[in-house]
Amino acid sequence: MKHKNAPASRIGAAVRKFAANRPAVVSLLFLTAVITLCLLAPWLTDYDPMKISLRSLNKAPSAGHWLGTDKGGRDVVSRLLYGGRTTLWISLCVSAIIAGVGTAVGVLAGYFGGAADSLLMRAADVVLSFPFLIFVIVVKSIDPDGGVSSLIWTVGLLGWGGFARIIRAKTLAEKENEYMLAARSLGAGTLRILTRHLLPGLLGLFIVNLMWTAAVMIGVEASLSFLGFGVPAGQPSWGNMMTDALSPEVIRERWWIWLPAGLLIIGVILSINFIGEGIKEAFRVQERHL
Amino acid sequence: MLLKFALRRLAGAVPLLLLVSVVVFALAKQMPGDGLGGGLNPGNKDPRYVAEMREKLGYDDPLPLQYFRWVKDAASGYFGQSFLFKMPVGELIGQRLPATLLLTVLSLLITYGSSLTLGMIAGRNPGRPVDRFILTASYVTYAVPTFIAAIFAIYIFAVVLNWVPLGGTVTAAASRGLWSSLGDRVVHALLPAAVLGMFNTAAYTQFLRGEIVENSGKNYVRTAVAKGISRSSVYNRHILRNSLLPLVTFLGMDIGGLLGGSVVIENLFSYPGIGTLFVAAVSGRDYAVMMAVTLMTGFMIVAGNIVADLLYGLLDPRIRAGYNGG
Repeated sequence: MKHKNAPASRIGAAVRKFAANRPAVVSLLFLTAVITLCLLAPWLTDYDPMKISLRSLNKAPSAGHWLGTDKGGRDVVSRLLYGGRTTLWISLCVSAIIAGVGTAVGVLAGYFGGAADSLLMRAADVVLSFPFLIFVIVVKSIDPDGGVSSLIWTVGLLGWGGFARIIRAKTLAEKENEYMLAARSLGAGTLRILTRHLLPGLLGLFIVNLMWTAAVMIGVEASLSFLGFGVPAGQPSWGNMMTDALSPEVIRERWWIWLPAGLLIIGVILSINFIGEGIKEAFRVQERHL
Repeated sequence: MLLKFALRRLAGAVPLLLLVSVVVFALAKQMPGDGLGGGLNPGNKDPRYVAEMREKLGYDDPLPLQYFRWVKDAASGYFGQSFLFKMPVGELIGQRLPATLLLTVLSLLITYGSSLTLGMIAGRNPGRPVDRFILTASYVTYAVPTFIAAIFAIYIFAVVLNWVPLGGTVTAAASRGLWSSLGDRVVHALLPAAVLGMFNTAAYTQFLRGEIVENSGKNYVRTAVAKGISRSSVYNRHILRNSLLPLVTFLGMDIGGLLGGSVVIENLFSYPGIGTLFVAAVSGRDYAVMMAVTLMTGFMIVAGNIVADLLYGLLDPRIRAGYNGG
């Protein structure tokens, strides 16, 4: 009975701690609002984010177009909403791949040690031995016309090195705990030890790094789209909208085309970081209580 | 003992360098045309031409043989011919490398200079307004991706303040020799370098502040204070020295970030370095250049990590001892 309640109250304590952290809560509300608006895009705007409209090129903000239109006459608000879908979807999928592969590799290497450890960590060394952007661009140029899903897989499968190292280090530390030895001496199987004893100990670190990865990937999408190796040019994404700022007329006179996307990117990354900090704090306190 | 440590560390990097070269070789083999030597025109799809050139360039030989031939050539500095720029790849990279090195070194100087100052100020005044201001500023800076920061910097410095020209920050003087235009080059590299170093500056500032605050509570500090050493001397001589030590290891890790970041920064500021060369090569399907740059940056990262390790071992005898024992 007590055993069953323990994890719930542990998480309950962490949630209470998180709720007391004002920047984290405000960030969570902001992020939820942005995600909801992007998801509801088809119901919020009638403007097509891709269709060129020659009659309304580069219009300043007005009642009809709250943030004006871009060089293709497309409504900026609608592009922000649909672009957010692309950018946030890429960030989410890439982080999921990185966290999944990174955790699997880190846990296997750290827990089993030996040959598995050397093999997996050499693989991590190799993926970390290239500048990330250069590596992604080279691998992506094998299949230059692949769309967003090819981008997601390339970035995800090249980006897990750091995540794996962090998880491995924590796994090594957790392995030293007496309760791990106790579980093993009581005859618990490997799978049980991993899922019931090791993974809960990794949860805090896992979430914090997942958040951090998601934040970084928003910047990676923007950088790759600017260089021409990210989201295909016509398709709206926050990175592609920022890239419009490179045209001298746009950066000089038409702030509405790029500034909202820039502020949204910074706002979203900041709020993800604040939420991550909040979770880190929440879990740290709980560790102290144990 | 130091020599032994250094040799051990260098020997340990050899397998990694080999692995890195195998990855580059394997990727180059996936590219259409001739990813290694640039001897095959990717635009010419005539099967007779392709077959003839493949035979001539030895691309029908077994892969291990091709790999060793490539490694042998690369070791002697031959990376094939650039299709786009019509010159040997090695020479092309040699032309562009100084500009990128200037950019990265400048960015590191800016990073170290400002993060040392800011970290010291914040670390000596924990909890005070100045500390909170520096922490908040570094927190926001840390969150802004290099690409976004660069566009805001261009907007502020080129459009609002009108200090630098919009688009292309290197003037005609860059075409004169490297040394005669060095001053000009440095001035024009300042803004890109500052933006490139922003992320690291924020990270170092936060790290240094934390280290200084933590070290301030240590016993050796109390001893020094008890001996009557002045407060500023304790901070400058005792605490700072210990707080700086871990920063050395960052150097190795950050080389990768700087090289990747310079691809974005160079292209945004039209700065003629390795980053612009790389993107031009990828867009123009100049695979020989692209793979040579990839191999070079990979080796630079491995080398950077070794240098950081050696420096750390040099500065902290405990690390040396640990390595010898293990």
